[in-house]
Formats: sequence, structure tokens, C-alpha cells
Amino acid sequence: MATIALSKPTKVKRGGKWSPWLFALPALVVYVAFLVYPAMSSVWFSLTDWDGLSATYRFVGLENYVKLPSDPVVVSAVRNNVIWTVVTIAVPTVIGLALAIALNGKVHGKPILRLVFYTPAVLPLVSIASIWGWLYNPQYGAINSFLRLIGLDGLAQPWLGQDSTALWAVMVPAIWLRTGFPMLLYLAALQGIPDELYEAATVDGASRWQQFWHITMPSLRPAHYIVLALSLIDSFKVFDMIYAMTYGGPGTSTQVMGTWMYFNVFQYYQAGYGTAIAVVITLVAIAVGIPYVRSQTREAS
Amino acid sequence: MTGSTFTRRGFLGLTSAAVAGAGLTACTGSGTSTSSGATAAASNNLRLFTYEDDSTIGLLKAQLKKFDAQNGTTTTVESLPGSGAAVYPDKLRTQLLGGKGPDIWRIWGGQIGSPFAKAKQALDLTPYYQKYGWDSKINTAAIGGMTFDGVKSGLPFVSLGIGAWYNKSLLAKAGVSAPPKTYAELETMNDKLVAVGVTPCGLGGKYGWDIMRLFEYLLEHTAGPELHDKLLTGAESWDRPEVVEAFALFKKWQDKKWLPQGALGLDPADIEPGYVQGKTAYTITGPWTEAAAILSAKKSPAAFGNFELPTDQSPARHSGFVEGYMINAKTGNADKSAALLDFIVQPATQKAMQVSASTVKGAEPDPKALPLSAEWAQKFGGNPFYTIQDQAFPKKQADQYFSVQSDLLQGSLKPDAAAKKMQDIVSAWAKG
Repeated sequence: MATIALSKPTKVKRGGKWSPWLFALPALVVYVAFLVYPAMSSVWFSLTDWDGLSATYRFVGLENYVKLPSDPVVVSAVRNNVIWTVVTIAVPTVIGLALAIALNGKVHGKPILRLVFYTPAVLPLVSIASIWGWLYNPQYGAINSFLRLIGLDGLAQPWLGQDSTALWAVMVPAIWLRTGFPMLLYLAALQGIPDELYEAATVDGASRWQQFWHITMPSLRPAHYIVLALSLIDSFKVFDMIYAMTYGGPGTSTQVMGTWMYFNVFQYYQAGYGTAIAVVITLVAIAVGIPYVRSQTREAS
Repeated sequence: MTGSTFTRRGFLGLTSAAVAGAGLTACTGSGTSTSSGATAAASNNLRLFTYEDDSTIGLLKAQLKKFDAQNGTTTTVESLPGSGAAVYPDKLRTQLLGGKGPDIWRIWGGQIGSPFAKAKQALDLTPYYQKYGWDSKINTAAIGGMTFDGVKSGLPFVSLGIGAWYNKSLLAKAGVSAPPKTYAELETMNDKLVAVGVTPCGLGGKYGWDIMRLFEYLLEHTAGPELHDKLLTGAESWDRPEVVEAFALFKKWQDKKWLPQGALGLDPADIEPGYVQGKTAYTITGPWTEAAAILSAKKSPAAFGNFELPTDQSPARHSGFVEGYMINAKTGNADKSAALLDFIVQPATQKAMQVSASTVKGAEPDPKALPLSAEWAQKFGGNPFYTIQDQAFPKKQADQYFSVQSDLLQGSLKPDAAAKKMQDIVSAWAKG
């Protein structure tokens, strides 16, 4: 038996320190071929004047990056990105949490209500854009018709047709479709909080509000992490809603970095410049994501 | 247990790197396109990419089937209708860069088709022009619209004029018995329509190119043919009274409610058919509207009419553009593709496809199938046209120009400032 016991570690060491890498190799090959190489290519093209169509291009160094701050559309796109990110994280998260708490108690028709609130999240985005485009129609849309019906004619606006309201008008359907997801996550997390905690707090004389802040919120901490991280990613990569509803307009008033990158690469035949925008978006996304990754790493350790 | 620590931290690290990499990749594509330059192998399979909608795609497919039967080929058709020139060129470009581009594609002339010719993605068709005698069969001005830097890179088969297409009953409701003959009469007609609660001109500002049709008309009215053409090439300054006047009129159209409320945010696909639905009195569009809006709504063409927008200038011109086909420079089927194009531009094929404004001699619209298009061709088809402005400028400059229009209509830019800004945009492009 002793001989067998001694021979086992030798077998384990057969692959040596390379064993983990050998197991990872197939996935690593795919990763390098389809992610690392294209990503590096993108960085390279951001240093060129490639038009995105021709077979030739010229190396221009950091010229594309130097031009970015003086592009007025980049400045307004960054501002729009910040507004979009703050609003479309904060509002759906708060509403989602409120709905989850409301649905967590004894509510009649809970499954149906849950379905109703989550349904927008599964609708195709193009359909959502079309539906809301019609709702916003200045002459025949339901929103302006309703405002006129209740005598608020002065509030009826060309919602998507003026700089002052277009971005906010696109944010409303974004909030509408993104509320269901945090609601579901919070609902699942709420059901994991033991009733005993609330019972003990009630015995100690804690009010509902105190129970919410001192039991519910701390217990939801892991859910907060997931909701905020996923919402941040979702908000940062915004492209489709803007593209489908306003096409970056009127003028360039609703351009965000994602759409402006697309316009430059695909429409203006300035792939080098557009790719530089993409690199900047990625760097900012990494910088913003680092605190989340660090916190997860700390927890894992 | 260092391995365990490595695995957890390493996994998270690798995951975050993967997310970053994926972000960058998703943003820009693989970037390997510059090496996809190989010519494809010859075969009997042809692929044609177009943007025809349901009203005409069936007719095209029927003719391609006929060609296939005669030539032993199999031609597949892919179509991306809907967004006009805003999205289709992007998808075409993506297909070409992916190395799986179509053998033949439909495209607009001017600055929309130009990048594909300049990047040598489109084949030089000069030898085929000689082989098939297209020079003598196709309208010469139209060929010019698909000739880039002296190279015939496309074969135009449609030359479309833009005019006003109207609803007769709504004009009658406003007491207008005949289309306007002067610009002043057009304004009077608009006032009469507004007075009876009808929105005169149905145009939408999403994408920019639709509402642009009004401004370019107003510019033709105030500047006249010679100056208008020079403005489009940057040979004359936009910072001048004629342009300021055109911008002032443009604003007037909105302020007097001659355009739909909130026109800037409307999708052309929603608002253009408004004249058929009775929501607007007329729109500014081309003969394709007869099949796409009137016939597809099962309405009788007799209830509608068209007229050339009066410019009060001589010669009377309207906005126009060409559309045609290009052949992929890397196709292995260049000869068969050219044979297919020659088949398409036969008068019989053009008639069978109900092309409403063919460039092919002997393929005038059939008055029985498309009475309004035939009427337009007969009355105004022979008139000269100015290049539609989204084909006169590259896309970037066109979008900047649309921004100026947008700012002007929202009141954040005055007409004289708009003229100055246009001069900045056009002169920067003309110098470049």
C-alpha cells in the first residue's frame, strides 16, 4: 500500500506546472483568435487613416486620438453618455427595487404582475423603438393625444424632434424595458432573507422603515452588486435604442459614443478615427469596471 | 495551495480581460478585411444584393429566374428595404469586407456609390459598355451619375426625378383646382390647405434626407440653376443672400405649419405615405411612390396626381438622381454578372419589372400599369435635373448639412448663420 501511496503524487505531476495551461489551451486558442487578435487589430487600425473599404492605409500615429477632444460631437456624445448612464442605472434600479418589495408580500395575481413588469425586457428592441416612435408622434401619437385630452395642450411636444427633449424621450422606453430585470433579481434576493430577522426586529420595536434600512438593504448587498454591474455595462454600451429611435438626431443632439463610432466607421468611411473612439470607449469601460472586478476578486479570495 | 489562489484570481482577471477584449472586438470588427482581396472562384451561382421592397422584389425575382433558365445560372437575391441610403451601404460594405460580397449590387449614384468605386471594390465596367453597347442604349446623363474619376463603375437603370405627389380630394377640399405654376401659387395653396385643417407637405426629418428635398427645392428657387450647381461643388460661397433667403423660406414653411408638427423627429417611412392616407396633402418624392404607396394601399392612381415644384427659374429643373448596378471587382463571375446586367437593361425586362423611370431607351413606363409615373415621365421626364443633395455631398458633409437644417428649424440658428455654417462645411470638403 505504501508503494501505491507514493506513486500517486508522481502521476499527478506528469503534466507539471503546464497542466492548467494544457487544459485551458483549446479555449485559449479560441480566445486569442477571436478576441485578442481582433482587439489588437482594432488598436492598430486606430493608429491609421484606413477608410474601412480600401486595401491600403497610412500609419498616422496618435493623430486620431489627438483629434477626439476637438470634435464637438464627441464632446456632446460623452455628455449624453454620462446622462444616459446615470439615469438608466438609477431609475430602473430604484423602481425595480420598489416593485420587488411591493410584490414580495402577499399580493393577489403576483405571477401575472411579475410577468407584466418583466415583459418589456423580452420584446425585440426594434419593436420597442417602433412602438414608442408612434406613441411619441407629435400629431397622432397617444402621448400628445392624452395630454390634449386632459387639457394640457401646452405640454404636447414634438418629443423626438427637438434637441431639448429627444434624449430624455429615448430614455423613457429604456427605463421601461430595463425595470423588469432588477425587479426579478431583487425579488429572488428578498425571498432569501429569513423571516426571523423581521420578526425579531418587530419584537424589538423597529419600524418598517428601520427594518428596510437595517435588514433588507444589507441583505440585498450581493444583489446590488449584480444589478449595478450589469446595468453599468448595459448603459455604457447604449447604441440600439438611439440608433433605432432618433438615428443620433435631430442633428447630432442624441449621438452617444457608440453611435458616433458607428457613424464614423460605417458611414463616413473614417474607420481609423471611428476605431480610436471604440478604443476610448473600451478603456473607459475597463476603468469603470475595475472597482467591481476588484471587489469580486476580494470576495472570492 | 497557490494553484487555488491563481485559479480564482486568474479566472476573474481573465474574465475581465475577455470582457474588455470582447468590447473592443464588438466595436470594430475583425479588421482583417484588408487581406480579403482574393478573387472568388468562377461558378454558376450569382448573388445580387438590392434594397427593393415587397412591391417590386417579386418582379425582379421573376426576371432573374428567366435569365437563369436561359443561361444555366442560379441567382439568389438578398434585399434590405426600408431605410433608404442610410443603412444599406453599411451592410454592403460589411459584406464586401467580410470577403463574401455579392457579385452584383444595386446602389445610388453620386457620392453614395462613389466610395465603392474609389476603393476599387466595384469593377470597371468599360469593357462591358463596349461589348454590350450600353453607351447607345442608356441615357448619357445617367451614365455620368455612375462614372467616378472617369471610370464607368456602374450601370444606371433608373433616373428618378423628385416632384410633388398629391391627393386630389384634399386639394379640392381647399378649393385648389389645379397644381401651382409659380412659387407664390404654391404658398397660396399651402395657406388654403392649412385653413381647412390639412397639413400641406408631408416630410420627415429622421435621417435628414427627406426634409432636405424641400430645402434643395427652395435653394433652386432662390439661387437659380447656375448658382445652385456651383454651390454644390463649392465653386461659389454659400454665405450669400440667395442661400440666406432659402433658409428663411425653409423656416417659414415650418412656422406657417406647412410641414407636419414635429417634422424633424418623424420617420419618412411613416409620413411620406400620408398623402395616400389623407393625412397630408402632398409629399416631395419620386415615381416609385406610385407602386410603393398608392398601389400597395390598393388605391386608384386616379385619385392622385403629381407636379414639378415651380422654381420660377429657367430652365425649369427638379431634383434627380440615378440608381444602378455595380459588379464586385473580386467576383469570379464578372462575365456572367455583366450578362445579367445586360439582360436587366433590356427594354422588355425593364417593362416587366415595371421600372417607373428607366434610363433605357424604349422602356418608358407603361401608362396602364403606372399611369402617374408615365404622366410624370411624359410631362417632366425630359426636364434637366440638379443632383439631389445627399448624393452631391459625401455622407459626413451631408449629415453636417442636415444638422444645420435641424438647428435652423429649431430656431437655434438664424438663416444668415446657417448660410455661413454651410459655407464652412462645403469649403472644408471642397479644399480636402
